[in-house]
Amino acid sequence: MTMPDTHLIWRSALYVGIVLLITAWFSQAWAATEAGVTTTELLRNASIAAAILAIIGLVLIEFVFRERLTRSMYHWTLFFGLLALPALAVLGATDTVFEETKTVESCQSCHVMDPFVDDLRDDESATLAARHANKGWIPDTQCYQCHTTYGAHGTIEGKRDGFRHWFHYITGTWPDPIEYVGSYPNVNCTDCHAGTRSFREVPSHQALAVELAADEVSCTSCHGPAHPTPAERPSFEPPGFLSSSSS
Amino acid sequence: MPDDSTPIPHGLTRRELLKRLGVLAGGSVMAGSLSGCEALWYRQPAIDVDAWHQGVCRFCGTGCGVKIGIQDGLVVDVKGDPDAHNRGRLCIKGILNRDILYVEDRLHHPLIRHNGELQEASWDDAMTLIAERFRESIDDYGADSVAFYGSGQLFTEESYTANKLFKAGIGTNNIDGNPRLCMTSAAAGYISVFGADEPMGCYEDIDHADCFFITGSNTHDCHPIIWERVMDRKRSRPGTQIIVVDPRETPTARRADIHLPLTPGTDVSLYNAMIHEFIENDFIDEEMVEDYLTFRQGDAERTFEDLRAHVSNYRPEDVADRCGLSARRIREAADVFASSGATMSLWTMGLNQQAQGTACNRLVNAMHLLTGHIGRPGATPFSITGQPNAGGGIRDTGSLAHALPAGRVVANPEHRAEMEDHWGVERGTISPERGYHAVELFEAMRTGDVRCCLVMCTNPAHSLPGAERYREGMERGFLVVADSVHPTETSKLADVVLPAAMWTEKGGVFSQSERRYHIVPKITEPPGDARSDLDIIVELADRLGYGDLITAREPEEIWEEWKAIAADSYYNFEGITYERMHEQPGLLWPCPDEDHPGTCRRYVPGEDPMSDRDEGRHDFYARPDRRAVIWLHDQNPPSDPPTDEYPLIMTTGRVLEHWHTATLTGPLAQLEDIDIEFLEIHPQDARRRNINDGDEVLITSRRGEATLHARITDKVPLGTVFAPFHSARRMINRTVNDTVDPFSFEPEFKVSAVDVQRTIA
Repeated sequence: MTMPDTHLIWRSALYVGIVLLITAWFSQAWAATEAGVTTTELLRNASIAAAILAIIGLVLIEFVFRERLTRSMYHWTLFFGLLALPALAVLGATDTVFEETKTVESCQSCHVMDPFVDDLRDDESATLAARHANKGWIPDTQCYQCHTTYGAHGTIEGKRDGFRHWFHYITGTWPDPIEYVGSYPNVNCTDCHAGTRSFREVPSHQALAVELAADEVSCTSCHGPAHPTPAERPSFEPPGFLSSSSS
Repeated sequence: MPDDSTPIPHGLTRRELLKRLGVLAGGSVMAGSLSGCEALWYRQPAIDVDAWHQGVCRFCGTGCGVKIGIQDGLVVDVKGDPDAHNRGRLCIKGILNRDILYVEDRLHHPLIRHNGELQEASWDDAMTLIAERFRESIDDYGADSVAFYGSGQLFTEESYTANKLFKAGIGTNNIDGNPRLCMTSAAAGYISVFGADEPMGCYEDIDHADCFFITGSNTHDCHPIIWERVMDRKRSRPGTQIIVVDPRETPTARRADIHLPLTPGTDVSLYNAMIHEFIENDFIDEEMVEDYLTFRQGDAERTFEDLRAHVSNYRPEDVADRCGLSARRIREAADVFASSGATMSLWTMGLNQQAQGTACNRLVNAMHLLTGHIGRPGATPFSITGQPNAGGGIRDTGSLAHALPAGRVVANPEHRAEMEDHWGVERGTISPERGYHAVELFEAMRTGDVRCCLVMCTNPAHSLPGAERYREGMERGFLVVADSVHPTETSKLADVVLPAAMWTEKGGVFSQSERRYHIVPKITEPPGDARSDLDIIVELADRLGYGDLITAREPEEIWEEWKAIAADSYYNFEGITYERMHEQPGLLWPCPDEDHPGTCRRYVPGEDPMSDRDEGRHDFYARPDRRAVIWLHDQNPPSDPPTDEYPLIMTTGRVLEHWHTATLTGPLAQLEDIDIEFLEIHPQDARRRNINDGDEVLITSRRGEATLHARITDKVPLGTVFAPFHSARRMINRTVNDTVDPFSFEPEFKVSAVDVQRTIA
């Protein structure tokens, strides 16, 4: 009987595949920890692998092996090829986008951010951003660290702001000079600083405790500027979305 | 079928697609705003504001640019102006500008004293009474029986008009003010060295200095935003050296590379010793000596060789004990000062408020002139002022007992004649006699020589040295106090108290330490019946019969008049119009025309429009020989010498959060818990007196006594105590030294012999 044999071979192949995938995952995770690779990089690799596997698998199953598979096996392979592996790929891709947009490079991909990033990396700059970056107080993803409030709400707010910035950028509708909208959430500063003795001992901090907690006074009021002031950075005039397309 | 002539519609290009998406996005944002859902799209401000206006902080001489947020006609938010020199920064006082207009003790109606009680009155009654009493006094006892005591917090237009009314109208030079207590030593220093007042440098110099010599200034607490700029320089170039001369280990001194904890009152010795080191170590800039300097001692001409001989008595070893410093530290400081690429000195009350305040100022200027640390980016002797308009309002307009506008003095007949012509009064109208300076004025009120005094926007009953002495005179004489708040220590003694509008309720021009003229807009209404100080001065002029003299009556008209008067002087600011000041956060004079961007460094050919020279390092054009003066000064013995009875030296100052006599900051709820009633005392001094931390202590001096609670700390040296002067409840100024500098008449607040004892419970 050839059918059960084939069935057995395919089933074994599937099991081996899954085991291999899991083993590869764990081994890479282990290697990643050793090599300092982030979860994001791991997920990205996994999603690439999943996408490739899914495509190759589907092609092979549909055009090469379909006749040789039992119906249930066919469904199982379709389940993996069309749902499980793509889900893993989407998860990895989403995570990659989320993580990638945290990087300073991602923010700088809009050139209106150039003066801010240049300043951030300027050893001699005394802005808050440059000091936090250059002294290693915030070693990486500095834009994101200071512009996203803690917790899920902060992440959503941060992504929304990023989306809005992107939209203004591609449509050429940003205001020049760009300005921080709304009140800066002091919790981004106090989360690290408020616990320190040097913070608590400042009488002005005690006097303004209520206003600081309510963001009615910004930490940068006294300790800023966080970035070069409008006069200290070059103008980036937007083309304007209703301007002549000849520009 | 489409006609061939009809253009065939193209498909969307990428750009057009993006545009349409943009319109869509814009539309959705608009829809968001209209539907109240903009919070979903934008972060929201914690304080809602209808409109933002450019202005200037109400507080200190840093003169920070602010953005003032208005909602429903009220100031609701104040933040730093990112386009101003302060780069958007403010200290806590600047932030609390948002609350100062609305404190509980704002005065809404005039008050007149009846049977010992201050009672509400109408403006008409109050002004009638004031005019009657002033007129009576002038007619019966002469013009010098009345006086005006103003403030570095009035707008320039107000001080200028009061000066004109009293000097050209009433005919008395009895017009002085709190700047006499604050920076007349700096003014006397600059005038006697350079021939004209006000610093030659600007804040931008901070960004270029390699060494800061900070003497007599707790910049960190008293001018925090200037300090931040100094720290920015240090952060950018960590090799920047900061030398701080201060008896106390202030927050400024703690951040210094070299701290010289000088014994109070021995500055002249220290600076002479540093000059000695400059000469010994060949740090003297010979080109400066050759081409740009002259030397004087008193009325006598001197030479560089005389200076060399003079300072040979001030070797670091000779002065070390007196100054409480080691000779090595003095040498080190002198070496760092002279050898840096560019040295900038910063000083304020610690230097000015001494019996040798003018000498100290001259010597610090001399240190820069002799070493050539002057007139280059980062190299400048820079005095910081304490009030938001002491420079432009008082020093530049000459609203002091000895002065006339734009560098003129009453003692000079030509200057008087010029001003009489400018003001359209008969020759001989302006009195040639110097009026009473601040301390003299209130002494004259005590003796009855001054019978009527109008005090505006200041609180002398609290701020004068040995303050208790003058209260009786203020009570007995006819005292009018115009202030935005009541009660103050002075308004409590007044016969008439007038409710004054303040800050954005009136509007006008301020100036700050770096000669920047900038404007506060009138954007809110004063409370109750309160009126601007300018209105009060103008009405007083009308009622006294000098209405014809006061031709300009609105702030901008007065500005134009004053601008025209200054135009033919070294103080030329012809190009600084109201319009320009509204468009940008101020301009630095000299600024001779409306295209001129303002002047950062004076006395530098090519930079200073007042210089007609094309080349050379400097042009001290305000001096007849175009050379700056190096003054030789000896250390005087202490004016208030410590004795067995008063063995400690007390120095006074401020805390960061409060300001002056705390009439503005005292009522603010946020500052309630800030301690201003302490006396810092060294642990050994405390132990000898059996004083524990927190104990109530009695401070006694030759002038009076006050109580505070002890704060035991080694941040003050052995034998020195420190107290902030803010508290009206404690009034430490009752005890401080009232000796005045012989040139500037500024009192020696900073060096008082006192004793401290635990009060008996």
